[in-house]
Amino acid sequence: MSELKTPATGLTVGGRDLGRRRGRSGSSARLATMWTLIGPALLVYLGTVVASQIGGPVAVQGAYALVSLVAAVGLQIFTGTSGVLSFGHIAFTAVGAWAYGLLTIDPTLKKALLPDLFSFLADVHAPWPVALAVATTVGGFLAFAVAPFLMRLNGLQAGIATFGLLMVVGQVLTYWSSIGPRSGQAMVGVPADLPLERLVLVAIGVIIVSWVYQHARTARLLRATREDLTAAPGSGINVTIHRVIAFTISGAVCGLGGGLWAATNRVVQSSHFGVGMTFTIIAILVLGGTRSLWGAVLGTLVWSALDSLLVYLQGGVTLGDYVVSIPEGARPIILGATLIVALMVRPDGLTGGRELTWPVQRWRRRG
Amino acid sequence: MHFGQSLIDALSLGALYALVALGIGLVFGVMRLANFAHGEIITGAAYALIFTWHLGPVVSVFVSLLVGVVLAILMELLVFRRLRTTTPATLLIASFGLSFLLQRVYEALFGTNVRTAPVASGLAGTVTVLGLRLQILSLVTIALTAVLLLAVHYFLTRTNLGLQVRAASTDFRTARLLGVRADRVIMLTFGISGGLAAVVAFVMTVQTGAVGPTFGVPLTVLALVGAVIGGIDRVIGSLVGGFLMGFASSFFSSWLPEGIVRFRDAFVFLLVILVLLVKPAGLLAGSGTVERT
Amino acid sequence: MSDLPGKVAATTPTQTPLLDVRDLEVRYSGVPAVKGVSFHVDRGETVGLIGPNGAGKSSTVLALAGAVRASSGSATLDGVELTGHSPEEVVRLGLSLVPEGRNMFDGLTVTENLRLGAVARRSEVPLTAAIAEVVELFPILGEFRDRPAGLLSGGQQQQLAIARTLLAAPRMLILDEPSLGLSPTAVDVVFDALGRIRDAGTSVLVVEQRAEFTIAFCDRTHVLHDGRLTLALTPGAAHDADLLTKAYFGS
Ligand SMILES: Nc1ncnc2c1ncn2[C@@H]1O[C@H](COP(=O)(O)OP(=O)(O)OP(=O)(O)O)[C@@H](O)[C@H]1O
Ligand SMILES: [Mg+2]
Repeated sequence: MSELKTPATGLTVGGRDLGRRRGRSGSSARLATMWTLIGPALLVYLGTVVASQIGGPVAVQGAYALVSLVAAVGLQIFTGTSGVLSFGHIAFTAVGAWAYGLLTIDPTLKKALLPDLFSFLADVHAPWPVALAVATTVGGFLAFAVAPFLMRLNGLQAGIATFGLLMVVGQVLTYWSSIGPRSGQAMVGVPADLPLERLVLVAIGVIIVSWVYQHARTARLLRATREDLTAAPGSGINVTIHRVIAFTISGAVCGLGGGLWAATNRVVQSSHFGVGMTFTIIAILVLGGTRSLWGAVLGTLVWSALDSLLVYLQGGVTLGDYVVSIPEGARPIILGATLIVALMVRPDGLTGGRELTWPVQRWRRRG
Repeated sequence: MHFGQSLIDALSLGALYALVALGIGLVFGVMRLANFAHGEIITGAAYALIFTWHLGPVVSVFVSLLVGVVLAILMELLVFRRLRTTTPATLLIASFGLSFLLQRVYEALFGTNVRTAPVASGLAGTVTVLGLRLQILSLVTIALTAVLLLAVHYFLTRTNLGLQVRAASTDFRTARLLGVRADRVIMLTFGISGGLAAVVAFVMTVQTGAVGPTFGVPLTVLALVGAVIGGIDRVIGSLVGGFLMGFASSFFSSWLPEGIVRFRDAFVFLLVILVLLVKPAGLLAGSGTVERT
Repeated sequence: MSDLPGKVAATTPTQTPLLDVRDLEVRYSGVPAVKGVSFHVDRGETVGLIGPNGAGKSSTVLALAGAVRASSGSATLDGVELTGHSPEEVVRLGLSLVPEGRNMFDGLTVTENLRLGAVARRSEVPLTAAIAEVVELFPILGEFRDRPAGLLSGGQQQQLAIARTLLAAPRMLILDEPSLGLSPTAVDVVFDALGRIRDAGTSVLVVEQRAEFTIAFCDRTHVLHDGRLTLALTPGAAHDADLLTKAYFGS
């Protein structure tokens, strides 16, 4: 209690760098590095297999969890590497979902449902891989387009400006009927092209992309600026450029997540892509640990498991003579409280911002 | 619409936003917390008005004020006090989570549909002054804001506690070394911000007569954004930013052409992003930036 | 302190000292900055603390003031334990720190700064009289009473920092590098005032970089090196080149 509780100063998320581990040699080092990729991917794969074996609602929740995972990994690519907060990434998810919906809904149905559409949008039709690619591109492009404006801001200002982006995109998608349904209505009839086994492959692909990015020079430089922004200019690192790169990749991944979401939910509506979804992916990252890919993966797993458990409890569970159940409405409250408690007890998340370590033999060497 | 009328409307909306931004800015000063959950204080106080209005205006307004102050202080005690040593980014996320959480609590308690009561319906009429048909509520809002601003100004500049709040906002650590009690000052500031939120809740509830779980959100988001572009580092910055935000929204609503008016917030936010680009620390930022060392 | 060489100030306290620091340790994220420091300050005594950059001087006094947590050890003021208290409580117990750097509330006027200093005032003397007293000590503050502190010069700000701290009426006044960044004349003004504060009976602990000057000014000066006290010097040592070298560069 005696410590001076001055509000902290830097707005970047402080802590240890998770990047390159030096001082190790040969194959063991390579193995440990590869494990930071293989471990999370394996976990995602096994988790999906288990969910699909259980089937029913669990398999459905598994599908949504994979979608959340992609969005969370997308946000982690930016926030985790740069230390800059973003409340705006769901905007990229939204445009990705929009693109995917417009490309995959049958044109006849589309013309009936969305009468005001630009004619080229009304006629276009594409198979799901193309639609996913376009969703990714649209997300990445939007991120790239706004990045020069947003990337010069830090901390609170960045949070507010990215939140503004979310609001603007939300409003445009809600009301601009030339590119979607009339005000606030839904796009329905998105085909179910992405069952669990495809989803999981896409999700693992995203994990690989994130891993490759984290090991690229641009990500290392950006991480170096995360701790101390004021030192960056002196070191010759152009923070803005590396942030734009991170933001674009992360926007693309979130756009892809939007496509997956459209295929999974099969109904797309602008009101889905608001504060609630933003809350979910931020909570996932906070829970797992913003500063590592492993954090995004573990966070998604724990969050989704908790969410599923709560859904399950809502239905009532018989334990011997007792029926345990939680009231309707308690689920989001518990989830909300989880985020806050996580911030209090583990501000660096369950992983502490570290990548997964090779379980067989732990290298504790520092160097 | 007559220009004079819409000017008064814009002034009154600006005043309302300024009150919200003031509450947010005061807390930011001492805590470096941009409190998203300020809106849920407004919502709570508004529910209190709706549910107690049948007990008479005096009781109801009193209860509502109490709810606002107590909610704000509880937030500090249960959540933000434990996060005081973390970064402003973490605090922002926490308040974002708290805002979400409280909305769900309101949903669970009072349902997703709005609750209604004819709160101070007498204020909903209009008067004609110099040929202008003016809403009584607009005039009341402006007057109420003026009084509250004067009161806050008096508190901050003339009283000992206000001096401590100002010192803590400038440099908390040094203030504590001089004997300023951190917990007390922060709790007091939260209390004031809760009271201001209750006043805002009153005006809003009179205007709409209906309160739902996300009642305070739009207002708070815009006012928070306004505070940041005004320069949340200083009370005057928050105040002016909030005012401009309300003023601009009101004017856009009255004068943007049909068909575009629905994109009003998009315009407002684009403007905000532009302002932040030119002046990242806000229009009226002090010499230091928000991210101080 | 029996193992100290040379001109040791062998002050074996006859009564309990006012400030008694024992085995004080400070760590930052586990890394020790102060590694078991013990010393005392008697009533009415002026004690110096010198040492190179990073020696742990500021950490020591911040720990005494409650601004950083002591990881172990104790510090008592007149028998009352200080560690574990928040800074605002420590001030009320009678120990005040003028921290390193001037830490002005730029937008607040000189008078407002002084009023803040009196927030935790421990004296029955009316505030107006007390303010008059510090203004007598630092006349420039009277002249600029309505000026924002941010507009004062460095030397004036240091005077204000000391003045407002005095208004708490501390029994134990600690100053962390009061001469930092000041012109020689400003240093003279500050130390002249410190001399008078000492003469008025307040116990003073001064952290400084300038060894010779500090040793001459204080009744007793400790040298801190890499988190440990290495030497204790009396004013006579101020002109002992050998000891001074030790003080600067460690043993
Ligand atoms: N807040 C902090 N976090 C981490 N390390 C710190 C912190 N403050 C000081 N240190 C470290 O503790 C050690 C002692 O620092 P301290 O400021 O006490 O030294 P000092 O003797 O006052 O130096 P100076 O003469 O430069 O003021 C240094 O190595 C410093 O880097
Ligand atoms: Mg120092």
